[in-house]
Amino acid sequence: MAGWMNKILKINLSNNEQEEIELTDSTRENFLGGRGVGVKLFTDLSSPNIKPFDAENPLIFMTGPLTGTVLTSGRFQVISRSPLTNTICDSSSGGLFGMRLKEAGFDGLIFVGKAKNPVYVNITDDSVEIRDATNIWGKNTHETRDIIAQEVNPKASITCIGQAGENKVLFAALMNDKDRATGRGGLGAVMGSKNLKALVAYGTKKTSIAYPEELKNFKSFLNRLVKKNPVTGKLLPALGTSVLVDTINKHGMFPTKNFQKGVFNDAEGISGQKISENILKKQSACYKCPIACGRSTETDNKKGEGPEYETVWAFGAQLGISDLKAVTEANYICNEMGIDTISAGNTIGCAMELSEKGLFPDNIRWGDADRLVELVKKIGLRKGVGKELSLGAKRLAKKYGKPQLAMEVKGLELPAYDPRGAQGLALAYATSNRGGCHMRAYMIGPEILGQPVNLNRFSTAGKARIVSLFQDISAFVDSTILCRFLQFAIGIDNFAKIVNLVTGSNLTGDDAVKIGTRIYNLERKFNVEAGFKRDDDILPERFLNDKLKTGSSRNRVVELDKMLNEYYELRGWDNEGKPTAETLAKLNLS
Amino acid sequence: MITRKELAKMIDHTELKASSGKKKIKKLCEDAVNFGFYSVCINSCHTKFASDILKNTNVEVCVVAGFPLGANKTEVKAAEAKKAVEDGAGEIDMVINNGLLREGDYEYVERDIRKVVEASYPAHVKVILENCYLTNEQIVKGCEISVSAGAKFVKTSTGFGAFGALPEHVKLMRETVGANIGVKAAGGIKNFKDTWRLIKAGANRIGASAGVSILEGLSLYKYAEDAWLEPEIPCHICPARHVSITSVPKSIFKYYKKRCSNCKYKNKYNKFYE
Repeated sequence: MAGWMNKILKINLSNNEQEEIELTDSTRENFLGGRGVGVKLFTDLSSPNIKPFDAENPLIFMTGPLTGTVLTSGRFQVISRSPLTNTICDSSSGGLFGMRLKEAGFDGLIFVGKAKNPVYVNITDDSVEIRDATNIWGKNTHETRDIIAQEVNPKASITCIGQAGENKVLFAALMNDKDRATGRGGLGAVMGSKNLKALVAYGTKKTSIAYPEELKNFKSFLNRLVKKNPVTGKLLPALGTSVLVDTINKHGMFPTKNFQKGVFNDAEGISGQKISENILKKQSACYKCPIACGRSTETDNKKGEGPEYETVWAFGAQLGISDLKAVTEANYICNEMGIDTISAGNTIGCAMELSEKGLFPDNIRWGDADRLVELVKKIGLRKGVGKELSLGAKRLAKKYGKPQLAMEVKGLELPAYDPRGAQGLALAYATSNRGGCHMRAYMIGPEILGQPVNLNRFSTAGKARIVSLFQDISAFVDSTILCRFLQFAIGIDNFAKIVNLVTGSNLTGDDAVKIGTRIYNLERKFNVEAGFKRDDDILPERFLNDKLKTGSSRNRVVELDKMLNEYYELRGWDNEGKPTAETLAKLNLS
Repeated sequence: MITRKELAKMIDHTELKASSGKKKIKKLCEDAVNFGFYSVCINSCHTKFASDILKNTNVEVCVVAGFPLGANKTEVKAAEAKKAVEDGAGEIDMVINNGLLREGDYEYVERDIRKVVEASYPAHVKVILENCYLTNEQIVKGCEISVSAGAKFVKTSTGFGAFGALPEHVKLMRETVGANIGVKAAGGIKNFKDTWRLIKAGANRIGASAGVSILEGLSLYKYAEDAWLEPEIPCHICPARHVSITSVPKSIFKYYKKRCSNCKYKNKYNKFYE
């Protein structure tokens, strides 16, 4: 079938056995690729009894049918069970690695087992070689990349973990290419638990395309959609994702000091404008991306990529810090050690609030920029105070008797938007299958940016419907796999059309939404079987009871229960949030 | 629900910025053809250039006259319109003399429009009222004068005023001109929801530079029509929310402030009292 290499390899790192997994047409039709097929393979190969750090826990790397074909298609998706949340978890990354993996002849790779000694896996045209990585164990991601590139092929794309993944920091990330991160859910720690340091991909194969001429013409059309959209055509290229600092702060939902306030008075110091003026070297872009939201930056001491919006928040407003240099250098350390910046900053903020209340042994103060880099390094190495911080906010707050101070959902630390300022976002956080995440349904688009369509952010009416729709469409796009920023500019009918032109299939927008619905329900089914229920679709008490005192979201709390009931009903889930037999049957998931 | 093709045929794809040169106009024309828009709406200096590009296509050239203030002498407006039609314009969007309409010099305003209508023949003329500087009564009067002077459309805004098209004004304009005269909503229309609300209020033509995004938004709508159309807090789409003492004439500010004080939403959402 066009769009596919028709090869998914399962590798058992305990005994180096390799087995080709056949991907049936029905799996492709029902789950498309990327996240969808990854989730399907994961649920086939795993069970709720297998814990995240068990050798049997599959760690799956997937490309999609569009990988390497159109704009933003260098992406890949990693799927496993998260050690941070215990949910099924997928996380994706841009750059080139997805495309290189496919060029090497593979749609996906599945790792089970645990290597006796550290290894890395070299993937070239149709072959997979497991190599010793003892000499690079303990190295950071940049050093790892440089050593392997020299050993194997400077043109290869490398995905690896740093010290955080090796040390099983519960929110360790995988890093690939130029500081691109598979950030959320601690999948870097799963990789570390398997003694798998890196994947290296390079090849010469090309993805077959069903209608190459039509696709070529359609690409120009897609580029126009992206250029003409105010978010993808103007805001993101101009200032990167940090363009959101001003906007979110003005909406009174820029979480400050562990979500105690929604306005950060010193936001200007960490804004997109400030990044452009003070540390920006040049814009950077993923494979064939016309947006180029990336920022190559430089401080007095170092250079690297970022920080992105989520990071300037996590190490900035969340901690009461407005020192851009400190934020940037902490971000560089996260890139090097392989740490999710959202979880790291959120957890440090939780520790600061505990400390402020005299409940934490280490005196970590709001606004203490001088200690930021040190704290992040300690997290990566799991040393000193870093050992506790590396567990994430939920476990940390619980240990010190104040679970309500952890700003998380299902154990995943919340990102840079206070849900009291946008009811749909609040529901999206609560019902996200991988925990507190803004990307399962990016409601900031309609509720704050007015894109692709504007919604009243304070109203709960209709939000259950829109959130579930966004979750489904996002699951589809994650399965193609294209960058989610395209959703601002490209409608679901046109996403389906790209798939059709590449694979020769005949999908409509309706089919695409249904594929997304199926993926979302399969993830939910796994979580339910793993013991998750309605009580886990909850937000921290702060958002439900404490009104924001200042800013344009003042006097607001989240009205979750009402939306949640409506959401379950629309989803065809019972009162505990479990998909009913009828719903599963309708989606071929029985 | 409207189809993508039908929606595209209601849109005047617009580029009226002072900073836009030929490159932008060329792209605008290409987009209009590729996306199936009704017309391109441009400044008069680009008329010939755009007409040449759009020759043998279904896309009209719509040209603004007396834009954006409408305060030029009648002869200048008429000459601008006449030249645009000679250069290939199929529609003329002229700006009304808003200041004289506000002062009640209806004779001048009607003559101003009539001269442009005559100069533009056989092209249709749309009259831009710039509603943000008018009371509802003045909007009604502006519509009546426009129709009586031979205009085929009335249009809400230039996009350069204090605010653009709002459903309340479109509804009022439609009620005033009836079914046989067009109502064009323009100014600040950024996405499908804005557009759909204005169409529901009575607009049959949309002027927007965001036409491409508007069309893409339609594909989301069909999955959750009711949810998207959930009523706004009324003040969000009330003209009163968009006025300030510095952006509109004092009399208009007072007009809306007075209206707000009598509004049933006063204690709930009211802009001036919240």
